[in-house]
Amino acid sequence: MVQDWRIVALFIGSIVLLGVIIGGPLIYAIMLSFYSAKSFIGELQWVGLKNYTSALQDPLFWLSFTNGLIIAISAIVLQVVLGVGIAMVLNKRFLGQTVVRAIAILPYFLPTVVACLIAQWMLDPNYGLLKSILASIGAGMPDWSSHAFTARGTIVLVSVWLWTPFVVTCVLAGLQTIPTQLYEAARVDGAGAWRQFWHVTIPGLRSVLIVVILLRGIWMFNKFDLIWLLTKGGPLNQTETLPTLAYRKSFLEFNLGGGAAVATISFLILAGVILVYLRLFPIDDAKQGR
Amino acid sequence: MARISLQNVSKSFGGDQGPWAVKDFCLEIEDGELIVFVGPSGCGKSTTLRMIAGLDETTSGTITIGGRDVTGLPPKDRNVAMVFQNYALYPQKSVYDNMAFGLRVRGEAKQEIDRRVRAAAVSLDLEFLLDRKPRQLSGGQMQRVALGRALVRDPDIFLLDEPLSNLDAKLRVKMREEIATLHARLGATMIFVTHDQVEAMTLGDRIVIMRDGLIQQAGKPLELYDRPANTFVAGFIGSPEMNLVDGQFFDTGGRLEVRAGDLSVGIPEKTFARSGQNVTLGIRPEHLVISNDSPLEMTVNLVEQIGAQTYLMGTLAGHRMRAVFERRDEIRAGDKLPIAFPSERLHLFDSASGASLRIAQRSGKIGAKENA
Repeated sequence: MVQDWRIVALFIGSIVLLGVIIGGPLIYAIMLSFYSAKSFIGELQWVGLKNYTSALQDPLFWLSFTNGLIIAISAIVLQVVLGVGIAMVLNKRFLGQTVVRAIAILPYFLPTVVACLIAQWMLDPNYGLLKSILASIGAGMPDWSSHAFTARGTIVLVSVWLWTPFVVTCVLAGLQTIPTQLYEAARVDGAGAWRQFWHVTIPGLRSVLIVVILLRGIWMFNKFDLIWLLTKGGPLNQTETLPTLAYRKSFLEFNLGGGAAVATISFLILAGVILVYLRLFPIDDAKQGR
Repeated sequence: MARISLQNVSKSFGGDQGPWAVKDFCLEIEDGELIVFVGPSGCGKSTTLRMIAGLDETTSGTITIGGRDVTGLPPKDRNVAMVFQNYALYPQKSVYDNMAFGLRVRGEAKQEIDRRVRAAAVSLDLEFLLDRKPRQLSGGQMQRVALGRALVRDPDIFLLDEPLSNLDAKLRVKMREEIATLHARLGATMIFVTHDQVEAMTLGDRIVIMRDGLIQQAGKPLELYDRPANTFVAGFIGSPEMNLVDGQFFDTGGRLEVRAGDLSVGIPEKTFARSGQNVTLGIRPEHLVISNDSPLEMTVNLVEQIGAQTYLMGTLAGHRMRAVFERRDEIRAGDKLPIAFPSERLHLFDSASGASLRIAQRSGKIGAKENA
């Protein structure tokens, strides 16, 4: 049948394309991690697991790992809590609802580099907007980029600013699928706003939240551009994460094998966490449970 | 258990100027009564129920439950329980937790909750389903859980909003019987909303028929059947629908009759009609009789055999007419049958307003707008 081979051709075509674009670099990176190399054109030298052992023995690796976890978890918690809150407000009917919804989603359209530049412009210790405002009331401002807490905080805040709209959009869609009669039944049962939230809204959003937390988790743990643009891993590696460490090793220290090993370990950790997460919170069951 | 009183209850979704979803609804519901609100879609029956539940605010008027004015109170302070058309069970909670939720919210003791949930489960045949989630239940079982959730609360009144509409025909009859049994056993005050006149006739101690936000008539099922207040009620109650023929009323020297084209039907007793008035003559299909003495002849156009009865559609003196007889196998389309109108079964309505001319209309109350 004509239709059949066309479908097969499309299928094979896309598999080949994915293989070349995703599979190729992936396999190449994993392969690189077993070699010592100074550049992509230089000669490769087989070193076995040495890159892995030295990465795992490196305190900087573990610092980067915990930094990544702290930044990812605090960003996700804030994004989800704020996202659900904002979505619930936007889900209510009020004058100018459409305009406010559009504005709320706007930050998501900003390129990361623009958002980071705006953040730097506001927070710069010498000529920043915040500095001027504080100065006008006679207050000083510490250099946010020279303290671990404030530097991490800035990364988290900018990420919350950029990606909470994504959570808002998903949760808003989820809220609209919850039947209003469930809220009415809860009201007749005597439940106030808080109980309605816990017993109707949150269970109704379960499947949306599982997917949103998973996606945001993956994206935040792998975040490179935002961190590199804001802090470059500083001060003193206090905002170094596994992606920035892999980049630093590969392209600043010209240790391609070491960078590839860090990237591969990071990939394996993430894959393991996702498997456990999906086992704990199966998406299918969640859908049926609604 | 409680008495409910609705005084001039009105609801408009567009402010004080209307349009009115419900207008000047007045009704006294006795303790332990099962009242059915019935009418076509958009007649205001569900809105009235939701106002009693507190889910919709009243625009004007007062609602009292057990002598207590509840007009401005939220649902949780009215001690009402409601069963929804699509059951509205909490999807992530088990059957047990669905039924227990209302009691937990009210801070009942754990043992008391357990006792009540299990008692309700036994009475509704749900003991073996307590651990299931709603998605694992059939429609009938979900409806029983919804009833159970209402039952455990021991509310003053039960409000049922088209609870049987999502069930298939057979299950609907079964659940209807269960609700009737439940009502008889509990003796609770219940309000049941439906658009199905058979449900209304079979369940209701009294029926309230609504249209366009107005009560058309309220009364016992057979009262509505025997003495419909207007043509709307006449057409709504009874299946197949009542035959309605437009004509003119004449009082010629004490002989009362209605003439409609070639048809002339004598009226036996005094009515509120004036000679020359445009009237609508009504007779139910099941009240037509085949009588060889009758000069009236009906030409049969269609015969429907439904088993115990035979439904006919035909033409009589130029008017379309339905008739229902005990099973008659020999009648065929094209037959001509001599038909008589038993005079005690006739209904007479004013053509302009639709109001009955055989029963006295209480002005300002039932069907007030119709008779104005």
